[in-house]
Amino acid sequence: MNQVSIEARQATVQRKPRLPKPSSTIQCYGLAVLSVSVALGGALFLQRFDFRDVEVPLFLFAVAVAAWYGGPGAAVLALLLSCVSFDYFFVEPFHTLYISRSDLPYFIVFASFASLVTWFSAVRRRVEGELRQARDELEIEVAERTQQASLLNLTHDTIFVRDMNDVITYWNRGAQELYGWTAEEAIGKRADDLLQSVLPAPIEEIRAELLRSERWDGELQKTRADGSQVVVASRWSLRRDEQGRPAAILETNNDITERERRQQEVRTLNEELGKRTAELEVINKELEAFAYSISHDLRAPLRHMAGFTELLQKNTASLLNEKNQRYVRMILESAQRMGSLIDDLLAFSRIGRAETHKTMVSLDQLVEEVVTEARQDTDGRNIVWKVGSLPAWYGDRSMLRLVLVNLISNAVKFTRTRSQAEIEIGCMNQEQDQVVVFIRDNGVGFDMKYVNKLFGVFQRLHAPEAFEGTGIGLATVQRIVHRHGGRAWAEGLVDKGATFYFSLSKSQGV
Amino acid sequence: MSTLGRILLVEDDPKDVELTLTALEEYNLANEVVVARDGEEALDYLYRRGSFTTRANGNPAVLLLDLKLPKVDGLEVLEQIKSDEKLRMVPVVVLTSSHEERDMVASYRLGVNAYVVKPVDFHEFVNAIRELGIFWGIINQPPPGSIKTH
Repeated sequence: MNQVSIEARQATVQRKPRLPKPSSTIQCYGLAVLSVSVALGGALFLQRFDFRDVEVPLFLFAVAVAAWYGGPGAAVLALLLSCVSFDYFFVEPFHTLYISRSDLPYFIVFASFASLVTWFSAVRRRVEGELRQARDELEIEVAERTQQASLLNLTHDTIFVRDMNDVITYWNRGAQELYGWTAEEAIGKRADDLLQSVLPAPIEEIRAELLRSERWDGELQKTRADGSQVVVASRWSLRRDEQGRPAAILETNNDITERERRQQEVRTLNEELGKRTAELEVINKELEAFAYSISHDLRAPLRHMAGFTELLQKNTASLLNEKNQRYVRMILESAQRMGSLIDDLLAFSRIGRAETHKTMVSLDQLVEEVVTEARQDTDGRNIVWKVGSLPAWYGDRSMLRLVLVNLISNAVKFTRTRSQAEIEIGCMNQEQDQVVVFIRDNGVGFDMKYVNKLFGVFQRLHAPEAFEGTGIGLATVQRIVHRHGGRAWAEGLVDKGATFYFSLSKSQGV
Repeated sequence: MSTLGRILLVEDDPKDVELTLTALEEYNLANEVVVARDGEEALDYLYRRGSFTTRANGNPAVLLLDLKLPKVDGLEVLEQIKSDEKLRMVPVVVLTSSHEERDMVASYRLGVNAYVVKPVDFHEFVNAIRELGIFWGIINQPPPGSIKTH
């Protein structure tokens, strides 16, 4: 783990070539013969120049070489050959293999010494072989570890290791990417100096938890190389050495700054929303109180005006001339109009305040009901009704009924001047999550340049003496349709009829 | 007309009282009307307290009750009547300006016998009052213990 930014290496280690070891027995023994021959040649050559007693070290050297490179067999052969050569060339009588009694200890010492060299050589060789094997195994393990470490570099997660003195000993690529320091810069530094972690709990508590369970996780704030702050979800794992003492802490970090920021945003927005809702509730309460007081207090004087004027009219019918009787009638008409305005306004305000009770509503059935009622009110008129098929839709039945009542009664009203009125009701663009219903008539129509005024409260495009009404019907339609996640619009031409559309959405609506 | 039940009209607005009485007079229904100007007075009448200590025994055939009243409001009067063993049988008709659903729901929840919104139009108003007077004062058989005159 101390190795940092280790290059990925191949797992199989190239073994270094061993010492040249003669492969066959013949080569081994040949080596023995060769080395003794070279030693003999050297000794004889040196003897010529009167160098004395060099033959024994040379033969010992030959035995050692044979032992080293040829193994024990070659060593024994070299020893025997050395003894024979020594006896033949350097021990008197020369050129015989005779060994005198006095020379015998000399030979024994030589043989013993050569054996010792052979033995040392063999031992050394064995030890070296073992060492080499151990080294090879070590190299394999290092290669494996290196590969594992390089895998850690591949992860997007930030991983680093610090020892118990908080000094960083490993730093992966994820850590470099998140914090901005390279491994070379980070390793050897104290993690706290670098990252300036802000911990959610006292470090003693975290350490205690880590020592107890060997794990800890929490959210920390850290500082990057460029000084910016980052919030991370951090997991710590404790590594212990063979004796079970805490050795290092592996820390994995995930950047949750963005998540944290979003959560904070959501919290702020929610608070804001809560405040707004509270404000709206207050306003709604005020509106409700306002509507309530209109309902009670404005209607009473109106009723009195109408009532007493009526009584006045009755009691003075014979006294008043035609002009004054008309004045009285106009007072009554105004009072009545005021009454219907208040009623319509209250109904309109109630739609905004009332809760919707949504169920599956058969629009077919609803249209049939409304049309049946309209027919009863239009006895004596020539109206051709064309009613298409409509789907069942999710909505507030009484509110949707009010929409249809308003639009259909409008169609009836504005076709009054036609000798044959045609009113068509149907649906179009029926999609998965939206339906569009239209009501088309051949009535007096309207000028498209006033289309934006159609759905406003108390907006009227016709003189009251031509077509009665308070101008709140379409505003009510729009409000209800909005509450069903849809919209209302219209198309028309002066004297060529009008078409009113409303859409209903399946998913939306309050 | 066989009998005429006593009507207790609980109404604070003198103009409304006058209009109501006018409407009832047209059909000779006004003779047996007692007017209380607030909720307290209505309860005084029913319990024969205060200025009504000396009145003859017996409950009215019907109570025409406005909701918005000084001192004790209509709903409180209604609640008191319907929770009293001796009074709960007295028919109570709420006669109000209020179109508000919550007033209506609250009234029915307390056990009101009818809920009538005063129409702005005088003809409709007169018709409504007349029908109430005829129904509750003449047609309806009031519970035992109600005041009726022959």
